[in-house]
Amino acid sequence: MDNIKEELRQHILEEFLPGEKPSNLKDDTPLRTSGILDSVATLKLVTFVEEHYGIEVEAHEAGVENFDSIDGIASFVKSKKA
Amino acid sequence: MDLELTENQRELYEAAVKFAEAELNDDVIRRDRDEVFSFDGWKKCAHFGAMGLPVPSEYGGMGLGITDVIAVMEGLGYGARDHGLLFSINAHLWTNSLPILVFGTEEQKRKYLPGLCNGDLIGANGASEPDAGSDIFAMRTHAERRGDCYVLNGTKTFVSNAPVANLFAVYATVDARLGAMGITAFLVERDTPGLTVTRGLEKMGLRTSPMAEIVLENCAIPVANRLGREGRGVQVFESSMEWERGCILANYLGLMRRQLETSIEHVRNRRQFGQPIGKFQSVANRIVDMKVRLDACRPLVYKIGWMKERNKPAMMESSVAKLFVSESLVSSCMDALQIHGGYGYMVEQGVERELRDALGSTLYSGTTEIQRNIVAKCLGI
Repeated sequence: MDNIKEELRQHILEEFLPGEKPSNLKDDTPLRTSGILDSVATLKLVTFVEEHYGIEVEAHEAGVENFDSIDGIASFVKSKKA
Repeated sequence: MDLELTENQRELYEAAVKFAEAELNDDVIRRDRDEVFSFDGWKKCAHFGAMGLPVPSEYGGMGLGITDVIAVMEGLGYGARDHGLLFSINAHLWTNSLPILVFGTEEQKRKYLPGLCNGDLIGANGASEPDAGSDIFAMRTHAERRGDCYVLNGTKTFVSNAPVANLFAVYATVDARLGAMGITAFLVERDTPGLTVTRGLEKMGLRTSPMAEIVLENCAIPVANRLGREGRGVQVFESSMEWERGCILANYLGLMRRQLETSIEHVRNRRQFGQPIGKFQSVANRIVDMKVRLDACRPLVYKIGWMKERNKPAMMESSVAKLFVSESLVSSCMDALQIHGGYGYMVEQGVERELRDALGSTLYSGTTEIQRNIVAKCLGI
C-alpha cells in the first residue's frame, strides 16, 4: 500500500506538479476538489493507474470518491487488485 | 539529437519537392479565388504516397518513421503552392487515419485504412462545436447507447474536408456529468442516415481546403464503429492533436525556406535608387529575421519526430513548436510581403495568398493562446 502511494506521489509530482516539494503533496491532499487535477488530467492519471497496475477503471469509478487523494486512489487500486 | 537528414530522408525530401513542383501548382490562383478543392491533386498525392506516409504497408501505407514523414512534409511544403490541399492532407492524416491506426480495432484498420491511404476515402474530424472551440471538452454532442448502437445528436463546426469527406472521426459525450471521462470517439461514414453536411464555411485563407458544419440528428452508429474505449475520446483527440501540431508544421518549414529563397532573389534583382534593394539595411534586416526564424523553427519540429520515435510524450514540445512556428510563419509572410512591396500585394505573385494561408496556423489545432496554456500547465503553473 505504501509503495503504491509513493509511486502515485512520484507520478503526480512529475506529471502535474513539476517543481513542487514532495512534502507538500500529502496522502490526503485534495487533488480534484483543490484544482490540482482537472478532468483531462484525471483521465491521464487514470490511464497511468490502469497501465501501471494492470486494472481497468470505468468512467463512473473515476470520480472524486476514488480519485481525490493519494489515499483514495491507493485504496481503490488495492480493492481492484484484490 | 542529430538534425541532419539521413541520405534516405534527403531523397524523400527531394522527391517530395520534385513531385509537388510538378503536380500540385496548376491554376492555384483561380482555385483559391473560387474555393476549389483539387480531387486530381488529392489522387496524385495519394499515388505519391502522401496519405499513407506513417501507415504500415499491411494497411496500404508506406510505413515511414515520423522523422521521415516530417522530411516528406517539409519537401511538399517547399514545392507546393497549394497549401490548402496540404492542409486537407494533414487533417485527413492526423485527425482521421492516424487515430484509426493507433486506437482502431483490427477490423476498423482493415476496413478503412487502405482506402484512406490510396485516396479513395477522404477523412475528416468533427470535434469543435459552435459553443465548444478552445474549450473543446465542453462539447454538447451526445451519444446514447441503445443496444448495439450509439445514437449521436449534435452539431460540429469548422470541419475541414467535410464537403468532400467520406469518413468522419466524431467526438461526443456519453454523459456530460463525467467531463472529459465522458468523451468518446466514433467513426461515422458519410452516408449514415442522420448525418448531414450543412453549410459550407468560406475562409480567409487555405481556401482550396473545403470546410463545413455537420449535423448529427438521431444518427445511429454501430458499437463496432466506436474508436477506442468508451469515455477515452480525450486520449484519441489529444493523440491526434499531438501528431497534427508536430507534423502540419513541417509543411511550413518548407514554405518558409522557399519564401526566404525567393525573397533573397528579389532583393538582389530589384533595384531602386541605383542599387539592389537588399543593400538597404532595413530590407536586409527582414531577410535576416526570416533566416533566424527558419533556423529556430526547424529544430523544434524535428525534435518532435526525435521524441516520438523514442516513444517519449511530446505534448509540451508539440505545443512549443506549434506556438513558435505558426507565429514565426506569419511574421515571415509579413516580411516577404513587405519586401516585395506593391508586387507582393498583387494576387498574381502568390505572396499575399501565403500570408492569408499562414494566418490560420495560429488558430487551428489550438490557438496560440491555448498552446501557451498547455505549456504553462506542463510547467506546473
